[in-house]
Amino acid sequence: MEQPRHLRVLRDIAAVFVTFIFMFPILWWALTSIKPISAVFDKDRVVFFDFVPTLINYAVTLLGLSRSGIAIDQGIGMGVGGAEAYDSRRAILDSVVVSIGATAVTMAVAVFAAYALSRMAFRGRAGYLNWVLGQRFMPPIAILIPLVTIYKDAGLRDSDSLYGGYLGLMMIYALMNLPIALLLMKSFFDDVPKDVDEAAMIDGATRWQSFSKVVLPMVRGGVAASAVLVFIFSWTEFLLSLFLTTSIRTVPVKIQTFVTSTGNEWGFIAALGTAAAIPSFIFILLVQRHLVRGLTLGSLKE
Amino acid sequence: MASVTLKNIVKKYGDIEVVHGVDLTIEDGSFVVLLGPSGCGKSTLLRMIAGLESVTGGDVEIAGKRVNDKHPKDRNIAMVFQNYALYAHMTVKDNMSFSLVLAKRPQSEIDEKTGWAAKILNLEPYLKRYPRELSGGQRQRVAMGRAIVRDPAVFLFDEPLSNLDAKLRVQMRTEIKDLHERLKTTTVYVTHDQIEAMTMADKIVVMQGGRIEQVGAPLELYDRPANIFVASFIGSPSMNLIDGVVKDGMVDVDGARLALPPGSTATEGQQVVYGVRPETFTAGNDGLAGTIAVVEPTGSETHVVVRIAGREVTAVFRERVSFRPGETITLAPDATQSHIFDKASGQRLA
Repeated sequence: MEQPRHLRVLRDIAAVFVTFIFMFPILWWALTSIKPISAVFDKDRVVFFDFVPTLINYAVTLLGLSRSGIAIDQGIGMGVGGAEAYDSRRAILDSVVVSIGATAVTMAVAVFAAYALSRMAFRGRAGYLNWVLGQRFMPPIAILIPLVTIYKDAGLRDSDSLYGGYLGLMMIYALMNLPIALLLMKSFFDDVPKDVDEAAMIDGATRWQSFSKVVLPMVRGGVAASAVLVFIFSWTEFLLSLFLTTSIRTVPVKIQTFVTSTGNEWGFIAALGTAAAIPSFIFILLVQRHLVRGLTLGSLKE
Repeated sequence: MASVTLKNIVKKYGDIEVVHGVDLTIEDGSFVVLLGPSGCGKSTLLRMIAGLESVTGGDVEIAGKRVNDKHPKDRNIAMVFQNYALYAHMTVKDNMSFSLVLAKRPQSEIDEKTGWAAKILNLEPYLKRYPRELSGGQRQRVAMGRAIVRDPAVFLFDEPLSNLDAKLRVQMRTEIKDLHERLKTTTVYVTHDQIEAMTMADKIVVMQGGRIEQVGAPLELYDRPANIFVASFIGSPSMNLIDGVVKDGMVDVDGARLALPPGSTATEGQQVVYGVRPETFTAGNDGLAGTIAVVEPTGSETHVVVRIAGREVTAVFRERVSFRPGETITLAPDATQSHIFDKASGQRLA
């Protein structure tokens, strides 16, 4: 049904307005990251665009330069503060390792489990799905204390061994993300008609061949979308990382250390925060189409 | 090429029996259509021949060999599905050659066979395309191409045309029939569309409720339906079935008297159903009188719905007629082309 013109215009304006409201904090964040300290802390007025942009916050957090060194070089007063404490290169590396590892583990398990739940009949299948979903009902903080003791006994904290620490974070992130990845992948597998499996079977494919050569390639968009979601959830996770690690500092935990006893380093917080949002942003753009389809859990039919 | 024999086939899902002992022989090279309303067990039967459903009881034989326990790929069959079931991530050529690749055939043979199939099905310009870039009819042809490259003993079609629009359906019907004429491969074709069945089949198997109602050539079923179900299912518009009682060697329908068809075995006083094909009525003075309710000209013929003593009777006139709703009309059936069934059992009485 074609809507009247004024309604369509009104709808478009509303859409732009709502998007703007949602985007504004991010925009402000990005803007803050390129503001000099004087523009961040102006007690007389709110500074929008009338400042001289600087990349110093990025130089300090992403390249590990010393702020006082830069200040001396450029002959500007930028305040003082420890240099190494704001160098976030190691934190980014930690986050990349943990997030990619967690995503790989999660997807490896979720793809097979979801295929089985979608295609094979076994006792307790429906109950199993509810149970999987139930895992998402419990907030992580509820299991935090037992988890810390379990991890201590299992040697999965980085204070016991660095690799143990990485492994520990990957495992808990994988556990945390498995339910959503599993349900998403199941909905993608469910969207592939069973006739396709049967056609492959008649064509001479074994169960493994029909999975690996036919069904899995048909849901590769779904795999990508689910993997992106898992990656982003792992990338942005704060609570578990904070409690389970000491020397490994993922980016969200690292950012939190910029809130110091001598003041909040808003410029660094904004710079690292903005930089950390960029990969998620790009990934989401790439898989957007599949995400919408997946998150509606098969309720949309083409 | 092979014959297919079904011996007392039973299918149960748990305690529910959906196919009740079906016996059927499908001759080598013939085109057999399983016809029936949805839920009649025709697709289940086809899937049991394919090996996609297990057989609860009885034997499925292909080329004289029992195949109950054989994997679908070892039965030398090919199947075309209602929704095409194409591999969306493969090109047309890869779709068609998938079975040959799995069988590890040499590349030269794969190229030769897919080329041959593409030529037969007019798919040559599309070999490099993906299914999503094809129209419905082209997708259907790819599904058929996938079936014919393997040169199977039996083709199985599961409602292959029901996703197509009406015009394309007629065209593909002809193409499938033509393909069968050329390849002469034994074909089992499932449909709920009696026109498809009538136009394509060498032999139609009419099913209902998990049982075979009648097996025969299309015109045989049309001319001599074995029971009320087949009579009403085959033919469009469907046969008029009029309740009556046999009285003095005639059928009494609310006072109107109709002649018994030749060879009738109906006995005096028996409750019967008198069947008249719409096109065998003539407008006359002797027969069933009623009021015209609806006149539907289709161009080549005119359908006239007449209300006779509370029931609706349809008549089809090939010549141009000038009836109007509200007029009275007397419809005279041609007894030599009429049918008579026992009301209680539904079986033909002739």
